[in-house]
Amino acid sequence: MSKKRYLGLGALVLVFALIAAACGGGGGGGGTSAQGNAGNVKKGGTFRVATEDFGFTGAFDPTDEYLGEAWGMYTNMLVRTLLTYKHTAGPAGNVLVPDLATSVPQPTDGGKTYTFHLKNGIKFGPPVNREITSKDILYAFQRIACKTCGAEYGFYYSVIKGLKPGAMPGDPGKIKIPGIETPDDKTIVFHLTQPTGDFLYRLAMPATGPIPQEVAHCFTKAGDYGRYVISSGPYMIAGSDKLNIKNGCSGMKPISGYQPSKELDFVRNPNYDPSTDSPDVRANYVDGVTITIDTNTKDIWNKVQQNALDGEISHIQPDTLAQYQSNPDLKKNLHINSGDRTWYITMNLTQPPFDDIHVRKAMNYVIDKQALRKAWGGPASGDIATHIMPPTMTGGHPTAAEYDPYKTPNDQGDVQKAMAEMKQSKYDTNHDGKCDASVCKRVLFLNRGDNPTWTNMEPTVVADAKKIGINLVPRELATSAAYTTLQTVNKNIPISLVPGWGKDYPDPYTFVYTLFHSSSILCQGNVNYSLVGLTPSQAKECGVKGDISNVPSADKELDKCEPLTGDQRTQCWVAADKFIMEDIVPWVPYLWSSVIQATSDAVTNFDFDQFSGTWAYSKIAVDPSKQQ
Amino acid sequence: MGQTASDAIVAAEHGAVVEQEGVRGRSPWQLFWYRFRQDKLALTGLIIIVLLGVLAAIAPLISHGIVHHGPNQLFSNTMLTQGGIPKGPNGQFWFGADSAGRDLFVRVLYGTQTSLEVAVIATGFAVLIGTVIGLIAGYFGGAIDTLLSRTMDVVLSMPLLLFAIGIVAACSTTIQGCPIGPLHLTPGLPIVIFVIALFSWPYIGRIVRGNTLSLAQKEFVEAARSLGASNARIMFREIFPNLVAPILVYSSLIVPSNIIFEASLSYLGLGVPQSIPSWGRELSDASDWFTVAWWMLVFPGFFLVLTTLSFNLLGDGLRDALDPRTGR
Repeated sequence: MSKKRYLGLGALVLVFALIAAACGGGGGGGGTSAQGNAGNVKKGGTFRVATEDFGFTGAFDPTDEYLGEAWGMYTNMLVRTLLTYKHTAGPAGNVLVPDLATSVPQPTDGGKTYTFHLKNGIKFGPPVNREITSKDILYAFQRIACKTCGAEYGFYYSVIKGLKPGAMPGDPGKIKIPGIETPDDKTIVFHLTQPTGDFLYRLAMPATGPIPQEVAHCFTKAGDYGRYVISSGPYMIAGSDKLNIKNGCSGMKPISGYQPSKELDFVRNPNYDPSTDSPDVRANYVDGVTITIDTNTKDIWNKVQQNALDGEISHIQPDTLAQYQSNPDLKKNLHINSGDRTWYITMNLTQPPFDDIHVRKAMNYVIDKQALRKAWGGPASGDIATHIMPPTMTGGHPTAAEYDPYKTPNDQGDVQKAMAEMKQSKYDTNHDGKCDASVCKRVLFLNRGDNPTWTNMEPTVVADAKKIGINLVPRELATSAAYTTLQTVNKNIPISLVPGWGKDYPDPYTFVYTLFHSSSILCQGNVNYSLVGLTPSQAKECGVKGDISNVPSADKELDKCEPLTGDQRTQCWVAADKFIMEDIVPWVPYLWSSVIQATSDAVTNFDFDQFSGTWAYSKIAVDPSKQQ
Repeated sequence: MGQTASDAIVAAEHGAVVEQEGVRGRSPWQLFWYRFRQDKLALTGLIIIVLLGVLAAIAPLISHGIVHHGPNQLFSNTMLTQGGIPKGPNGQFWFGADSAGRDLFVRVLYGTQTSLEVAVIATGFAVLIGTVIGLIAGYFGGAIDTLLSRTMDVVLSMPLLLFAIGIVAACSTTIQGCPIGPLHLTPGLPIVIFVIALFSWPYIGRIVRGNTLSLAQKEFVEAARSLGASNARIMFREIFPNLVAPILVYSSLIVPSNIIFEASLSYLGLGVPQSIPSWGRELSDASDWFTVAWWMLVFPGFFLVLTTLSFNLLGDGLRDALDPRTGR
């Protein structure tokens, strides 16, 4: 479930969220759940979590790290940023609030300049123990620009004047970024090359949090700073106070509370001043958080049930989910929240028979989405997806009920409507509603072979496609190999059940722009699997075999939205979503998956962090007397 | 074959009969059959294998004529709960449903076909390759023997699962699979058979080579050579018939390991695709469900154990009957 594994993909590409086998998931209906009553919640105790594997993509170095689980730890506990979120569930958790900054600024200079003033009294944790200044934020951006530091999502900051993410050589502390000014210790100004409506969201990502140069200058290789992260938040890595920074770089030994193959422990940061924060943003009930590695999934869930652990960062197995749902004592400890994530069947616009829009529409009608969701664990696993963006991405609209261009009874597919679409296709020469062209005889269908959720969905897709005369030939690969294959354009994969997409930050840019803009097409590591907007030169360069004359583009619709802000922006993205669903039809979206979490009886307050899709650590409270 | 010696044993065992009927010559095969018949366990194994073969052959008749469910027919509305949990055995679904909502009885039945196909075809290829290469290595000796024997060592030392993963990954990205000469290797049964044959022939090859080495020194081979027989004739007409017994014994013993091998590959998702029922695949699916759907584990597991056990018993029986010098 909540194991989001992100890969940075270089250059212009935005993000691609790879969910490991572990990301199946399932919980109910995308509802949000917060339990307990904040008024009666007691402070103290330790929140104990286990995971099969940290799965960090950047060794927990905030400059690099691209894993949602790690973002949850940073934003709740360890790294404060200019702006942040309320660390709560649902659309409320996707709203920006000031954190280091005194307020959320309005842009000036036609949307190209942002000025921030920093709050007083926010200090780095031990052993640095000094007030945080604008230079420390600048240093974080210098690390994003730094060639050796390995920033995995640096491309988001290429809109800052003179910042070339991951491409500027030399000591990061000496890198000049003309687009960032620090006129005094409490002011930082960003100048952008173009109006960027979602720039503020990018300043709430952990890579932009302050980093003390006196420690981090020793760690300028990708991931190296991960074991020396100095806190700016309410908690710090246990043992941070023992870090010796007096004897230069060679005297520093990794902070003891983080052992990459064993555990990651957090304790309160003595320098944190709650008056600089808000209990709505971080309540900080527990005294500490321990995250330990336990490779046995069943063991983790058993321990949560026995109150020997208080939570898990782990994929819930179908039988465990069934057990939770049938037992009221357990069910009250199950928390199901929207994962801001869409799962879909992707169709390649250049490959027959999917180079015909009627075939793609027919596929949207014929697929039994209810049956696919059953393979995920039924309604608990999420809402049936009817279009591209999960409703939480656009402030709760449009929901599946509001916009469902390929509506079928009970989402179980409608063969008649599908055949009516197929009849209009050039591949149905006798107009009987079934593809009769030779291209439909054997169509390669790429799937994951190492995950029961995917292999259980496979027969449904194959049987449904057959109803309109398309014979899919499944090919199963392990998840990572399947992704690599799908992302290599010259493999010309016609149709695949492999991918899902999750947000990086709660703006549709990270969804639709990244996935459907022609500029996101790369020959290797491509995430625009359908090749929407493919140009003839790209086709040639990447080795596309097939007819590209009918490949539609969404560039115009997407470019329009990016400079906008506020409600105009949201409406623009919603319109782009509709355009893609009806005029391009690259996907059969089937599930907006939820994140399923279980707590022990000892957890007296639960909240979900909508931004990072994991525990709202700063809102969790425990009752130590109930812990085993 | 130590014919005289074994005749003596038989005579001693059944002295009374022999005395009454007088000493009568028996062919090696008569002797084999006589000994094999005594081995009740081996006979049981044989009978079960024959029954499984019959079941595999008439699987379509049973599935369409009696239970009226196809192996890939989906019953996700009726046989899966709202939460996607499979429902257990009932009057229509004798073994319950699997996690995709298919009839597990029909899947297990068709799984017999898959297992036996893999067992017979992959073992057949392995025996063919192993016999030819073992004969050549053992008969010619010298540099040829060194080359072929070391090849066997190399194959035996290859990490077969990694190799299988590589092949499956390489051959899964195009509709044609990957070309090997005129053949196109597509994922599913062809790759499974290819991988299994590739990794099991050296076992036969070594046995055949060893036996050939000693047989090539025997008088009858020298006699044949002095009569001007060609190498090919000596190998295949003189030596080969003497190898039939060990080959038979060892192939019956690698059959069950090949069945398990197919199940393991399918368990790891490297074997046959969803559309082809396989016990290994069903067991792999069951590993996520067994606490709420025991039938998914029990039925394919039972058939897998039954089949491999039967082949093992048969193999043991064959060995005892064909080579009485190796006592139990």
